[in-house]
Amino acid sequence: MLTEFGRVLIFFIIGAVFVAGGLVTAWLIRPNRPYPSKLTTYECGEVPIGDTRVRFNIRFYVIALIFLIFDVEVVFLFPWALVYSQLGWFAFVEMVIFIVILFVGYAYVWRKGDLDWDRPAPKIPTFEKGVGVREDHLLEEQVVGS
Amino acid sequence: MTGVEDLLQTTPLLIVSISGLVVLVIDSIFRNGERLAFWLAATSLLASGLHGLYGIGETGTAFSGMLTTGGYADFCAALFSLAGFLTLLLSRDYIGSRTTDRGEYYVLILFAVAGMILMASAADLVVLFLGLEMMSLCFYVLAGFTRTSFAGNEASLKYFLLGAFATGFLLYGIAFLYGAVGSTNIDLILSSASHLRDQTFFLIGLSLLLIGFLFKVAAVPFHMWVPDVYEGAPTTVTGFMSTGGKAAAFSALLLVFAPRLASQIGPVREVIAVIAAVTMIGGNILALSQENIKRMLAYSSVAHAGYLLTGVVAANGSGSTGILFYLAAYTLMNCGAFGVVALLESREGGRTSFQDYSGLSKSSPVLAGLMALFMFSLTGIPPFAGFFAKYAVFSGAVAAGYTWLAIIGVLASLISVYYYLRLVVLMYFSEGEHPVPAPVPLAYAALLAAAGAVLFLGLFPSTILDLTATFF
Amino acid sequence: MDLFDIVFYCFALIAVGSAVVVVFSRNIMYAAFALLFAFFGIAGLYVLLQADFLAVTQILIYIGGILVLMLFGVMLTNRVVDVDIKTGTLQIVPAAILAAVVGGSLSGVFYSTWSTVSGTPSDVATTTPAIGEMLMTSYILPFEIASIILLVALIGAAMIARRKT
Repeated sequence: MLTEFGRVLIFFIIGAVFVAGGLVTAWLIRPNRPYPSKLTTYECGEVPIGDTRVRFNIRFYVIALIFLIFDVEVVFLFPWALVYSQLGWFAFVEMVIFIVILFVGYAYVWRKGDLDWDRPAPKIPTFEKGVGVREDHLLEEQVVGS
Repeated sequence: MTGVEDLLQTTPLLIVSISGLVVLVIDSIFRNGERLAFWLAATSLLASGLHGLYGIGETGTAFSGMLTTGGYADFCAALFSLAGFLTLLLSRDYIGSRTTDRGEYYVLILFAVAGMILMASAADLVVLFLGLEMMSLCFYVLAGFTRTSFAGNEASLKYFLLGAFATGFLLYGIAFLYGAVGSTNIDLILSSASHLRDQTFFLIGLSLLLIGFLFKVAAVPFHMWVPDVYEGAPTTVTGFMSTGGKAAAFSALLLVFAPRLASQIGPVREVIAVIAAVTMIGGNILALSQENIKRMLAYSSVAHAGYLLTGVVAANGSGSTGILFYLAAYTLMNCGAFGVVALLESREGGRTSFQDYSGLSKSSPVLAGLMALFMFSLTGIPPFAGFFAKYAVFSGAVAAGYTWLAIIGVLASLISVYYYLRLVVLMYFSEGEHPVPAPVPLAYAALLAAAGAVLFLGLFPSTILDLTATFF
Repeated sequence: MDLFDIVFYCFALIAVGSAVVVVFSRNIMYAAFALLFAFFGIAGLYVLLQADFLAVTQILIYIGGILVLMLFGVMLTNRVVDVDIKTGTLQIVPAAILAAVVGGSLSGVFYSTWSTVSGTPSDVATTTPAIGEMLMTSYILPFEIASIILLVALIGAAMIARRKT
């Protein structure tokens, strides 16, 4: 078993070497000419407004919660998959019961609309005398993914 | 190999959990399935309860020694199912007027009862832990069921954080016991305890397990969460938590600790005795100064955990039978008391202070009468069930040589007379104006049934005492 | 000191070092990402203990699920950088007592079982089929209960996070 995971470890090590090697080589051969514009977010673009840290939509969290539950379910499937051919119908029925119970939960969250991605109605910018009024307060409550 | 026989031996568990699933399906499919969901949930809880009461079978094990069946397990299953049934009847209108998610409420009550049944019938610590988790998860959600109420959210979060911490202790204890003995089977752990060369880890595991349980039964000094959670949670949920939840924790405590407490695990017994004494005194003294009925009942529930622990310390037939009788009586009277509070409570959660009850006997004589009856029973005044419950556990303690504990118990009960009867005096000998609560037939039926049962058990305590005596 | 020991100390260092970063980092995002390495180090230790199923579970659930949930939790908190999140030390005395008790009991276990554990791990091919067989036979009841517990968790999570109706 250890040898199997040993291969995984070697894979990890090679991966790390590749990343480190690329960075080190770049550091060695690149010319060093720092100037302030290089530190801006978009070197050749607009100056960003506001903070990068915006509040995420709560929907992400709900989906992640639901995902976690089914993640745990999947973990139970692995050992079952290895032995069900020996144990036959009995093990099959057990796993069907297990999955049906969770499927009821899945049907429940689906039906109750917890998987719906509710988008707020799009805000159409208002125009006054031909000049677009930017609703800056909207940026305050900007929500990613909505 | 597991088969159909195993399933048949665990009928109450099967009924409750399957109906939980079906209610969830009904709630998901039909937009207006509330009525069907409610009656299905109520019927299945009643069926499971009656099965437990009338079909108590031979003691055995099922599912490769994971569950004990028959006898004790069946009786406890009946008790939890009836607690769930009463709660369901009391809360249909209460919950309906405060939130729209009634389907989930029934599902969570059903699964909580299933978790309790698992706890009382566990033959293996793994099952015990899973049952406890199942029950606790349902309670965490139920405590915050009225999602718009800040107090409810606070109660839910507080209960969740502290409860998860306590579960951690319990699990750590199970791990230590497994490390010491090499098994999670309760019988095997207890019987091999005396053969161990080094009992250190066994005792560490046992005390961690005890801490987890003491948190769940709300014994001093693990009672800090009780007043806030009991006050913030929806009143009917509080009733369920304080009766079903406490009963389940005690039935599991009895399962793990009672069989060998007297003979082998000496220091643990003394520790429980001290905790019982502190709990009885502390709970009652703290309850004295409360002005909110829900908080008063919360501290009184702490005190009752102390009386019940006295029965655990006794660790003899009388103490254990006494605990089961006490749990039955306590379930009835406390569900009833919280039911009355729920009926009188305003939709915003107000009208729960002592002053709001003054002169209640004029405006709603039936509710006042019922409340007075439950208060008398909680105090332990004959001929109500509460009296015989206390008598049974205290006499068990005396028989086991813990007379000092019984004396403390009696003195602590004397303190409790003040705050229980203060409510009765306020209701009958004070003036006050009250809006008459809308009549809720289901809740009134449940309250009358509970009151009738409290009186019946008080007059004929042997009906249950004789039955439970056969379990030990 | 053979290769096994070297790998063990590497993973132990990763786990403990990242855990220290988690506790002492003033930036909550750094703490969350350091937790990833702590979980990973522990998964490596599980592998060295011949607990392959646990190792994979650790990666699947803790790194793939719980950590993602935690990161979302951090990002959900509006304007993390503006708020002064308390990373100071509170309740030193109770924490010290608790840590001493837990650490003491763990080292007690460690020293008393030290002599009984053989130095070289037995070479088991894999534990997963044995776990599967146990789950399907003697642990069938806990297995099915687990699915109901997951269901309850699902209902609770979905309900609490749902918008007001």
